Amino acid sequence: MAEMQLNIEIKRYNPEDDDGPHWESYEVPADPLDSALSLLLHVKWHIDGTLSLRKSCAHGICGSDAMQINGENKLACSVLVQDLVDGDGDTITYAPLPSAPVVKDLIIDQSRFFEKYREVKPWLITDGPAPEREREQSPEEHAMIEDATKCIMCGACTHACPSTWADPDYLGPAAMLKAYRYTFDSRDDGAEERLDVVDSPDGLWKCYTIFNCNEACPKDIDITRWLSALKRRAATSQASTKA
Amino acid sequence: MAVDTKERPSAPQQTDASAEQEGRFQSYRIRTGMFAWMMHRLTGVGLVVYLIVHIWGLTALTDPETFNALIAKYHSPIFKVGEFALLVAVAYHAMNGLRLVLIDFLGWSPKQKKLFWTLGGVTAVIIAVGGWPSIYALGEWLLGPGSMPTLFL
Repeated sequence: MAEMQLNIEIKRYNPEDDDGPHWESYEVPADPLDSALSLLLHVKWHIDGTLSLRKSCAHGICGSDAMQINGENKLACSVLVQDLVDGDGDTITYAPLPSAPVVKDLIIDQSRFFEKYREVKPWLITDGPAPEREREQSPEEHAMIEDATKCIMCGACTHACPSTWADPDYLGPAAMLKAYRYTFDSRDDGAEERLDVVDSPDGLWKCYTIFNCNEACPKDIDITRWLSALKRRAATSQASTKA
Repeated sequence: MAVDTKERPSAPQQTDASAEQEGRFQSYRIRTGMFAWMMHRLTGVGLVVYLIVHIWGLTALTDPETFNALIAKYHSPIFKVGEFALLVAVAYHAMNGLRLVLIDFLGWSPKQKKLFWTLGGVTAVIIAVGGWPSIYALGEWLLGPGSMPTLFL
């Protein structure tokens, strides 16, 4: 027997039938150690099969099930019921990630998010020919970028950012974190190319250090810290090239 | 039968509902960082408005009579309230500005919440000490002359 009954409120929207999004409530049995995702799956499997959501691994690796839970962006599989409610009869709200087009229910159209990702050239750029063996990196060099490599591209940060809400073209924390990850990689030579992209009106300078990205990140990446480092790099490299 | 996987299904048509989902204002939980930023924006806009009014007031400098009349107005209680609000805005904006500088220039991002509360304490002291003359004047006006303790004045 489940320990408690919770009230689940889900922002539903089917563009083919509905005029606009609306909230629907469900009664769901839950244990404190259930994930927020498992409650949604209970709704889908036992109450209303038309509920649509994205999920794959359900273990915080694939990054499919980022959504707004109790007013904050979270990865549904990585947050526990005990951290969302005080007890029996409490409510948990689920909505799609803010400021993205909704495909259906909790599923957003991610195309814009991934366009921004591609804009920062998230791949290794090198001068000269490939070495015979793998490209080596010391533990110290890797420590510079280790935190940033933990990103699973779930989109919780970018859609938590007020700068993204106000400017849909703003590159956003996820893409610029990726720019940091390659710019500060000791094996990469593409810093200038990438800085050209992020040192722009829709880039770094619209980061107002609001910290919603840090709060939203399911991997606890200190995104703001790395964007600050990228800002310093952009400011100093601009001074050196344009002087 | 082979399925052509190169062709992606077309993106859903933008509808009014998705437009409603998008937009500058979102309902979102306010934590320390976003609160600090909202106050920073609010005090920033307030200071710009103040600055315009302040510069406009300087046009009175050309004529001694108008200038005296303006200065007399500045002694009214409503301006004492304004003076206090100005101090609050300047103190907050300056201290949070320092917080942002420390975060961006020195990489103090991990300490952002501690910084907010520490510099918030400094801001409170600045407001209490610097705002005392305004509070004193307002108290005298509201409760009658001689009713306020003459601390530091």
